[in-house]
This record gives sequence, structure tokens and C-alpha cells, in this order.
Amino acid sequence: MRWPDIKEGFRNFWIEFKNIKFGLFGLFLLFIFILIVIINPYLVPFPDASSRWRDITYWEDNPVSAPPLWINWFSSVKRASSSIISEYTLTEEKKGNLTLNKMIFEYEFFYDRPPIDIIFHSYVVGSPVIILSMERPDGKIITLTKRVISKITGEDIRISIGNDSRTESYNFGMKYENPEQNRIERELIKPTRILFAEAEEGILVNPSFLKGIYKIMVDIVLPSSNDQVSESSLFISGGVSGWLGTDSAKRDIWSGIAAGVKWALLIGLLTAFTSVSIGVIYGVVSAYLGGWQDSLMQRIFEIFVGVPLLPVLIVMSAIFRPNIWTLIIMMSCFFWVGPVKTVRSMGLQIKEETYIEAAKAFGASSSRIIFKHMIPLLIPYSFASMALYVPSAIVYEASISLLGLGDATIVTWGQILHDALRGGAVINGLWWWVIPPGLFIALMGMTFAFIGFAMDKILHPKLRTR
Amino acid sequence: MIDNNTILRVSNLKIQFFTSKGIVYAVDDISFSLKKGETLGLVGESGCGKTTAVLGLVKMVPIPGRIISGSIEIDGENIIPLSETEMRNKIRWTKISMVFQGAMNCLTPVYTVGYQMMETLQKHKEMPYPEARKRIINYLNLVGLSEDIIRRYPHELSGGMKQRIVIATALFLEPEIVICDEPTTALDVVVQAQIINLLKELKQQLGLSVIFITHDLATEAEVADRLIVMYAGKIVEVGTNENIYGSGNFSHPYTKKLIQATPRLHEKVSELSFIPGIPPDLINLPAGCRFHPRCSEIIERCKKEEPPLIEVEKEHWIACWRIVNE
Amino acid sequence: MYWRYCLKRIIYGLVTFIILIFIFSALFNTTMEKTLRSQIEEEIRAETLKMDTKMTPEEITHFIAERRAFKQHLYHLDKPIWSRIIWRAIDVLSLNFGKATIMKSSAGETDVWAIIAECLPRTILLFTTAIGINIILGLLLGLKKAQKAGGFVDKITSIGTMVVYGMPSWWLGMLVIMFFSYKLRLFPSGSLHSIPPPSGLAYYIDLLYHMALPVLTLVVIGFWGSSYLIRNIVLGILQEDYIMATRTRGIPERKVLYGHAMRTAAPPIVTMALLSLLASVGGNIIFEGIFSWPGLGNLYWISIEQNDVPVLMGNLFITTALYMAGLVILDLVYGFLDPRIKVGGRR
Repeated sequence: MRWPDIKEGFRNFWIEFKNIKFGLFGLFLLFIFILIVIINPYLVPFPDASSRWRDITYWEDNPVSAPPLWINWFSSVKRASSSIISEYTLTEEKKGNLTLNKMIFEYEFFYDRPPIDIIFHSYVVGSPVIILSMERPDGKIITLTKRVISKITGEDIRISIGNDSRTESYNFGMKYENPEQNRIERELIKPTRILFAEAEEGILVNPSFLKGIYKIMVDIVLPSSNDQVSESSLFISGGVSGWLGTDSAKRDIWSGIAAGVKWALLIGLLTAFTSVSIGVIYGVVSAYLGGWQDSLMQRIFEIFVGVPLLPVLIVMSAIFRPNIWTLIIMMSCFFWVGPVKTVRSMGLQIKEETYIEAAKAFGASSSRIIFKHMIPLLIPYSFASMALYVPSAIVYEASISLLGLGDATIVTWGQILHDALRGGAVINGLWWWVIPPGLFIALMGMTFAFIGFAMDKILHPKLRTR
Repeated sequence: MIDNNTILRVSNLKIQFFTSKGIVYAVDDISFSLKKGETLGLVGESGCGKTTAVLGLVKMVPIPGRIISGSIEIDGENIIPLSETEMRNKIRWTKISMVFQGAMNCLTPVYTVGYQMMETLQKHKEMPYPEARKRIINYLNLVGLSEDIIRRYPHELSGGMKQRIVIATALFLEPEIVICDEPTTALDVVVQAQIINLLKELKQQLGLSVIFITHDLATEAEVADRLIVMYAGKIVEVGTNENIYGSGNFSHPYTKKLIQATPRLHEKVSELSFIPGIPPDLINLPAGCRFHPRCSEIIERCKKEEPPLIEVEKEHWIACWRIVNE
Repeated sequence: MYWRYCLKRIIYGLVTFIILIFIFSALFNTTMEKTLRSQIEEEIRAETLKMDTKMTPEEITHFIAERRAFKQHLYHLDKPIWSRIIWRAIDVLSLNFGKATIMKSSAGETDVWAIIAECLPRTILLFTTAIGINIILGLLLGLKKAQKAGGFVDKITSIGTMVVYGMPSWWLGMLVIMFFSYKLRLFPSGSLHSIPPPSGLAYYIDLLYHMALPVLTLVVIGFWGSSYLIRNIVLGILQEDYIMATRTRGIPERKVLYGHAMRTAAPPIVTMALLSLLASVGGNIIFEGIFSWPGLGNLYWISIEQNDVPVLMGNLFITTALYMAGLVILDLVYGFLDPRIKVGGRR
């Protein structure tokens, strides 16, 4: 087998492959997955999802267990979407050493349900004083909260209206509420539900909401020229959030899923490649050597075959708690048995060919015969096998992660499902948490199934019908 | 020639395969006849259409092939318009049976020999079990096998034994025509000789009419009376053994080359002669005479027109422009 | 001939199994011993509490040490590591799995074997039913596909096979539960039977009712694959020479298909069926967990959560034993069905 022959082989293979529609579709899907991995930072709102999956501060601003954005299209009751407002009008005023800044953020609220929280972020140096207030579409102005910063040397601060303006909202509400009819404890109110409600009776217990443009005003007092408040933004934490919603730990699920793509590809491809390579080489060498060596190799093979894979993997994971690379190695240690039987019988057939005898007569070494003459014939079969092993590897890893035995430092779809199960997603009907991870596992499985079956079809012309 | 002695007449038979790469003209307008008691040899290279033609005779051409046109008359009845059911019940095995090429794989591996023979027998002839059994054993003995073969599975038997079983099965319904498709090709020489002798005996004993396909001229000469030479889906020569091998004055260039290519035992051979070139692509056939790209005796006309079969002497037809010219 | 083949396979199977058990024992030795030692301490503590409390502190210490030495000797903990591994393996092979740390069987026994023996039939019930249905549907569809290979039905169902190829059965189970159990409230979300279980005929109906969702999920995922495989097997056989030869002999199509073709296809199809069954012994741990089906798989899950090592180990050994036994039986059945093996080679 020379390089031109191999190139020729690939070209012929590709010509045949092109004709199989579902094979091409599979390649197309694979291309999309790879694209997701590459453009990940531009595709998701939380690009560091993978490394900061367990870091609660990263996800702080998201709502808890919120359904996806597009739910609003199908629902008559539209909830506020999560969004970020980074534009504001800024007016500066100087009074001696003091600087008075006023930032105004405009928020268009035309939903049926108000946001859950509004969070002000900013980078602060020194000891400024920050006062937040809100002007409603009906002209009423409410002071929400005041934060005095004591001498810091540059860090991000976060002011949450939902947390910090409880008293002010309550007082605002009490102005319009009828205390005889509707009583409610201050601790039990949700500030945003009052702030965005019509100023009328029932505001505390059964509000209807006021739609319009709200202005969030941030007054900043900077006592000296060393103080600084910059890079400000307003985060609206809505009732619906993100393309796939959020989970009970406030994580954006779409970011998690997209982060999981690269791990799935890695786990699947690496395991498939390693195990099929080992298996094919093992089978060919066993066939080539023949005799007692072949028998011995077959006995060893049978020992590995007798292992029920998932239970053993689970027990080993439970006891040794491997990381993802160790897991891949463990899986490869068992997956390799798959191709061996077929490859060995193919190898036995090839061995009988006269050109092998001829090569031996010419004095070719065993490794040369095996690698230059026998293995190239098995390459198409190897690729088809690899493609079909990828989904299995991904499902096994997902199973291990689902039991909580997976590598907690990375995000895989199995991990997300584990959290879903633990977080009561099934019982509480949080379908946006349960469906996407499994769906993506199935989609990736489908992709490689299309590709692998197409290759299989080319390899077995006997099963063709026309 | 309407002849009471003719039991098979094939006229203008065309069989084509419709593949994704194009139409394969496997059998392109052939006509021949078979007389009662005669053995007709059919020779040609691999892929020339011999097997397809005889499969057409039992209407078992595999998909994607189809009989396009022509007629096949067995005992005066054209079988082409018959339905599958009629073929199965009236024609196959009762009127015309086949001994297959590569008997290695002709018997279902999971049933015993006896079961399969009994199944075939009972399908076509209602017989009480003991009588059927006797007939099977009779024919097994006829081909030189003992009765306990019945309980064996195909994989337990040698190639020669399997071939004999296939022959016995082909004969025990006493059909009028038996087709032997290269029955000895896969066997070693010793067994080959045995089978050929057996066939000659049976031919005598049972008065069979046989179509015998082979690519080995030596075998053909031993077994057949007349022979047909096929090339690329067409018949190029028809004649008796005498005409073709013997003192014959005329010969199609292809036949000539075939005969030359068979080495003689008592000749000194310094160089093996062969026919140059490769068999034609049956999808993209050459224009004119199909053999012309490989022929060493072509004239201009060969490249443009296909020659028809012309009777050059009694019982001897050849399709060749050069011969016509002479 | 066949008996020799059988014997060979059985012996190979046993030897392989024993080797595997030894490997497992060696691998998990430390963990199992840790549990064993703490169990011994528990027992000693319990014994000392029951004792006559009039003993002096030295006597008590001496007693404890004596009991400890005795028990360690009993469980071979005082021997070198090789010996300990061998003893562990021997224990397993004689089905002596010890006592569970925390779990109990429904009868309250702590004997690991009892716990496992209770769960085993439930797993077998569920998966045999599902796979049985899969095979029947697979045969029906697969034969249709093989007969009209390349046709519309064939193409569409092949696409279906590929679509569910990578779909985890337990995920589909989650969806099915979310939809049919919680949303529509048509079916129970899991377990073997309602609490308290009804008696008589109602018990069986209740059982079927609880089996409905899991079996449905398994069948929806499984029958595509089996029909595809059966189609390939049968198609491959239909292209063989002997099928054409049989047809040429005038044998009717029904007999060719259901007699010759299917009979030849029987060994590989049965292999496929048994292999699916075997795979379910080990592979459906999570599936059982999702449906709270109290079989062997679920037992794994629970024993991991509760950190009950003896049950986990015992379960592993039993699963391996079943798996190996299954493989051996598979070979035996295949040999029986295929005369090429059953009757052997040339005379």
C-alpha cells in the first residue's frame, strides 16, 4: 500500500459517500457542532461557563429556574425577559472637590409580569456614595436604596434592588394600599412586584402591572478626584431568561450546553479512536501470529469481554473518583474488545492471500506486513467502527456523570442532567432543564450514527439493493 | 424449422440489467434450439452472458435484470408470458432443471440433504413418503452415493459429493431439459473426471437433453455434441464438434483463439498463447462487431456493422464479416 | 461433537469467570477490607456492651483485643495480602457476600445475598418483557424491510434507527415520566407496585400498570435497532446462492423465506436477542433508577448513595456471573441452532 493508493482509496470512498444523503446530513450536523465549539465565546452570554460552572458569583444575576425566552411567544401572559442595559445618559456636575454624577438607564417594560430583580453593577474606586431611584411611567419617583462605599481600591460592586429596597417598596405600596382589606408582612413582599405595579388598591397583594418606560436613576457622589465609578450596567433579571432558561442554581443552560459540546466531542472521538485502534491492531496481530499466540490473545480477550461494562465502570468510578482523562482511559480499556472478533476473521482471510505469502518470501518483517499490507485494508472498517462508537462513549460518560461520579471540574451534558435530577426538575416539570442536555446527547449520537451507517453501507455492498 | 424433435427453442432473447451506472446488455438477441437427447455446449469467457442466458430459461434472472424481449419455447409453449406461480408449478424442475455452478453453496446449510431433496420432490409430485424415499435413494445410488447421505448436512460433505447430490436432485423429477452450469469448475481434476463420466453415463441411460456450460473447451468436447460460442452477450458461432474442432474449414476468430489458448499435452509449448485485451464493458459496447478491438483479422466493415449469423456450411453458423467476404 | 463443544465452552467460561473474580478482589481489596474492619469494630462494641459490666478496665481492653484478634483471624485479615485476596475471592465464589452496612431487604435481613436475590427477578421480569416485545416487533418489521429492501418503508425506518441510536433510554424515560406521569397523570411514575400492593388478580394488573411506562420506553428505543439488524441478517442470507437455488427448484416463496431463510437466520438473530438481554443486565442501572424499579440496577444506585460497599461488591459479582453465564449459554444455543457447529465438520 503506497501513499497514492491510500489517497486513491480515500477519493473513491468519498465519491461513494457523497451519494448517501443521510451521510452528508450527518457531516453537516458534525460541522455545526464544531462550529459551536469554535465560535462559542460569541454565541453564548456566559462564555466562561465551562470553567466557572460551580462558581455562584458568576451566575448571581440570573433568575432561578426560569423558562426560556421564547416561551413568551406561546404564552398569553408575557414575562419580563432578562437583559442587560449598558447604555445610559450621564450628566456630570462639579461642586468644588465633589463630583455629582447622574446616570439614567431607560427600561422599556411592556410585559405582563415584572422582572424578578434589577441589579446595578459598577467598577468602583475609593469611597463614593451611590443612590438608586426609579421614575415610573406614571411620573412617581421612588428612592430605592443608598449605598455608601468605604474606601476600596478598585473592585466590582453589585447593588440588587430586590434585596436592598424592600423597605422603600413596602412604604411606597402602603401609600396606595387599603390596609383593612389587604395586609401582608413586609418580609413577604417582592419589591419589584410593587415597583412595577399600578399605584392603586390591591398593589401589595394582587397587583396589575404598569407598562411603560421606567427610568432607573443612579446618583453618584464622588467626594474626591480619586474616586471613580465606571463601567456601569444594569442587569434585569426577568421571569424568562436565555435561549434555554436557567436552572435552580441560576446557571444559563444554553451556555452550559454549548460548553458541553466540546467535551462530548472530545470524550466521544478520543475514546472511539483509542479503543478502535487498539482493537484493530490487537485483532490483526492475533490473526497474523496464529497458533498458540493467537489462542492466548483470544483467552485474554475473553476475560475482557466477560466484564459487564457499566457496572464495573460505575464501581470503579465510585471508588476511585476519576477525572475526565482517566475516565476516557478506563472506557478505552474496555471498548477495544468490540472490533476484535470481526477484525480477526478479516485478518485471517487476508492472511491467506498470496501476496502476503509473497511478502513473507521476500523477507518482509512481520510489522511491515501487518502495518503496510493488512491494516490499510481495514481502515474503512475502522472508521465506520469509530463513528459508531462515539455515541456509546458519550452515553457512558453521561451515565457516570448522572450518578454524580463524573468529573466535577468540567461541564458535560451528563452533569447538567445530574443537577436536573437532583434539583427536582422532573418532579417540578422544569422541562427546559431536562430536555436540552439529553436532546443534544441524542443529536450528537444521531450525527455519528448517520456518518457511521453511511460508511457501513459503502463497506457492505452485498446489502445494497440496486 | 418446426421439428417435433426440438424441445427448446430460444428466439431473439434479450436480457438487460438496469443498474445505477447504466444499462448492461447482458444477453443481446440470441437464438438457438435444443433437440431431444442432444447435449448442447455453451462456451465463452466469464461475463459473456452464458449464465444469464440460462437463468433466463428458468426466468430466474436476478434483480436488476429483466427479460426485455424474445421468446423461449419449451415443448412448443412460450414460457415468457407465464406467471411466477405457473413457472414454479409447471416449468421449474418439472420441465427444466439446473445443476449449479459452485455447488459449494447450493444447499441450505441448516437443513439435511434428505430434507431438501424430499422437499423438492414432494413439492412437484404428490407421493407417499416411502415411495418418495425410495426414489431419492435410487437416484443417489445412480450418482454413486450411499443412502446414509440423507441424514448429513451440506457442510459435512466434500465438493464432489455435493455436486453429485445436486445432480441427483436435478434429475429425480425426470425433467426434459437439464442445464449444467459449469458443474466441474470448482472441483479438482480427479473429481472433475468422475463427474464428467457420470454425466455421460446418465445422459446415455436417461436420454437427457442437456445444455452444458463451461469455459473449458476440453470438457466441452468430451460431453457435448453441438456447441455455441458466446461473446459479449451475442452468439458468434454455432456448430458441431466436428465442424469446430476438427477438420472445419471455417472458424470465428474468437473461437480460433480459444482453441489455440488451450495447451495440448503432447505439444511443446514455449509460450502460452492468449487473447489480448480485456472483455468488453457490457454497458459501453464497442460499435460494430463486439470482438473487433481484440481481433487480429479485422476488416473495415467489422468496426461499423454487427455481423449476423450466417450458415457457412451444414449445421455451422458464424457471425464474422471476414468469413462472409471469403 | 456438540457435547465436546459445550464442555469446552463451559469450562472456558468458568475459568474466565474465576480469573475475573480474582482480579476484582485484588482491585477492590482495600475498600472491602476497610468496610470489614469497621464492621468488626461494630460487632465488638456491641458485644462489650452486652457483657457483664463488672470487669475492670484492663480486663475490658484485654477482652476487646482478644475478640479483635479472633475475628481478624476468622476473616483472614491477619494473613499476607495475597492470601487475603484469595480468601476474598473464595468467599465470593461460595456466595458469601457478608452483611450490608446500612441496607436491608424488605424482610429486614442484612444478608447481602438475600438483598440481591430479592432484586434479581424484578430486573429479569422487566427486561425480558421489553426485549421479547422488541424481538417480535423487530422480526415483523425486519422481514418486511428485507423483502422490500431499498423501498420507502426500509429507508424511513432506517433513518429512525439512526435517530435513536445515540439516545439514552433513561433520558427518554425522564421525558416519558414528566409527560405521562406528572403532566397527564395517566401512569405511575415508578416503583413495582402501589402501596399497599393489592392482592390476587389485581396484584398482577397493578404490576402490569407499573411496568407499562418503562416497557414502553424500552420498546420505543429498542425495536428500531433490532429490526435493522434482523433486516441486515435476513437480507444477507437472501442474497446467498442457496436461496436462489431453492427458488429455482420451484419451492414457494413463503417456504423459502420462512423456512430456509429464517432457519438460517436463527443463530445470528438469537445471538442478537440474547446479547440485548445480557446488555440489559448490566447496562440499565440508570434506567431502573429513573423509574425507581427495585431491580439489580437500582440496587447499584442505592448502594452508591448510601455508601454500602458490601452490597455494591456483591451486586458487581452477581452481575458479572450472570453476564458470563449468559455469554456461555449464548455460545451453547448458537452451537445448537447452527448445524455447522452442532454436527461438526467433514467425515
